[in-house]
Amino acid sequence: MHIEREQADGAVLLKVAGRLDTPNAKPFETSLMDVLSMTDGPIIINLAGVDYVSSSGLRALLVAGKAMRNSKRRLSLTSLQPQIREVFDISGFSTLFEIS
Amino acid sequence: MTILAEILAGLGLLFVGLKSLSSHLQQATGRGVRRMLRSATRSPLTGLLSGTLAGAATQSSNAVAIICGNLVRGGVLTTRDAIPVVAGGNVGTAALVFVAAIDFRLVVLYLVALVGFGFQLRLDRQPSWREWMGVALGLALALLGLDFIKQGPRAIDPAVLGAALDAGFSPLLGFAAGLAAAALSQSSSTPTILVLALLQSSVMGLDGAFYVVLGANLGSGLATLIAAGGLEGTGRQLCYVHILVKAIGCAAVFALWLAVGSAGADPAQWLSAVGGGQPAVSLSLLFLALQLAGAVPVAFGRGVTETIAIRLSPPTLEDGASRPRYIHDRAMEAPATALDLSEREIQRLIQLLPTLLPDLDVAESAGAGERLALWRGAASIARSTEHFLTDLIGRAPERESLDIALSQQSLLEMICVLQDTLHDFAEVVESYERPPQLAFNLSESLRVNVLLLADASSAEDYDVIAALTADRSKLLNDIRRSLVGASLGAGEDARRLLLATSLFERAIWLIRRTAVALRPATNDDNPSDGLMSAERNDVHAH
Repeated sequence: MHIEREQADGAVLLKVAGRLDTPNAKPFETSLMDVLSMTDGPIIINLAGVDYVSSSGLRALLVAGKAMRNSKRRLSLTSLQPQIREVFDISGFSTLFEIS
Repeated sequence: MTILAEILAGLGLLFVGLKSLSSHLQQATGRGVRRMLRSATRSPLTGLLSGTLAGAATQSSNAVAIICGNLVRGGVLTTRDAIPVVAGGNVGTAALVFVAAIDFRLVVLYLVALVGFGFQLRLDRQPSWREWMGVALGLALALLGLDFIKQGPRAIDPAVLGAALDAGFSPLLGFAAGLAAAALSQSSSTPTILVLALLQSSVMGLDGAFYVVLGANLGSGLATLIAAGGLEGTGRQLCYVHILVKAIGCAAVFALWLAVGSAGADPAQWLSAVGGGQPAVSLSLLFLALQLAGAVPVAFGRGVTETIAIRLSPPTLEDGASRPRYIHDRAMEAPATALDLSEREIQRLIQLLPTLLPDLDVAESAGAGERLALWRGAASIARSTEHFLTDLIGRAPERESLDIALSQQSLLEMICVLQDTLHDFAEVVESYERPPQLAFNLSESLRVNVLLLADASSAEDYDVIAALTADRSKLLNDIRRSLVGASLGAGEDARRLLLATSLFERAIWLIRRTAVALRPATNDDNPSDGLMSAERNDVHAH
């Protein structure tokens, strides 16, 4: 799994590539929490390069989502591949995250 | 051919009976019966005596061992408690040899009749009788099966056997014949009674009879393993206890036999003298001595016996997974504390829910067999907790405790359905060698919701679950419609996926209901706070 960080219109843009699976879930969650603690604006996660999401990956996103909500910040997800979007829809995660 | 058919039919009946007995007994055994059995097995002596009574009543030490094995599996007794009972069961069977007091078949036939009348009177539809009817039917079938097995070899003509014996019967051959006869008849007393008949008709002497009875004693122990069928872990441990009783008995009596011989006396004559010159009495005493010599050390040294049994048949995953961790009989005296314990047990069941689903993301995750054991274990804990709550409610606690108990009962019922739904879902997903994308998505989506439910503790956590499990019937209906279209080409796969979506939808609904029921009230809650509040009232009302 690979994460690239950029600035975009006052928000932090994280470009994630690879698999959001059990081995990668914890490092992904840690990276997100680091970014969250070091910045104070909205965060956009681009998932165009992610071709696999498991329950562990979803949980990692949820942890970050809760932290963002508690600090009243916006977390949005973009460019989900169709099969990844289906996981989000079926699991109900589409209702928790702003997806574009 | 008839003999073989009878034995096979007997085995079939035995297996069906034991399965019914085991499942219904676990449902039926309330705390009262458990207490009674526990007090009967409080000491090795009372355990030995109650086992002797059971052995005398069933006339089968194998039946006592197997029934005790099922009681241990059901959590009614521990292996340690059951050891003296199993040992005593052997002593009890000596009654058959001494006095053919109880007609085993007659008892079984009466039991079958009783069960039949019970079903005709619709006792099986009354909640308090339903499970016991199942237990009685299971017991009747198991005993009928044992009786068939016993009856089979009796069709052998003693005259033919006598002629064969006349031709020369070495001690080793006698031992082997006894061993085989007992293994076939599942009983040491049946071959002993046959030998008794041969003794009385002077076809055989005490010398030859000794070795046949010795072999029969050991053979009956080994036969328990056959009768135990698929029993594993703690259920099988008692079969080994039974074998130990038989083996120690054989070793001790054979050592005495050799000692008498080496002292210059004729052991057969000595045995005849012990029986007052009556061969039948001598043989009966020999049979009793074999049982006592094995049963007494095994019962009174139950610590060592237990260690050996555990080593030979270590507890299975299901054994460990089916033991309640918090609830226990004595807690019933203080309803408030008891409810606290049942609440913890229910919480534990919720935390076990993720183990019922496959983790498709991890190659080395638990296999289907392991998950099946975990599901059975969790279901067993749920049943124990249900019985605990039912007993507690039966004690007419104060209003507040009663309300909590009823609410826990309703929650538990929901969790039981959720357990079964997750298990069914896992079976569908695991039926694929490589799950298709939709099955994977459904499985991982369900898994994340179950994991969140297992981890949830705050109102916020439960609110997240409520949001995640909001109605998605439109999405699932769309998926189903596309599957129905696809099923024209790939019927079986599409059918399984349709089933998976239905199970998924039911599980998600149950997760939501559980989360709503568990969500603690907070100061921020508005009583007229729409859906969550309405659902909460609805769940508690049930």
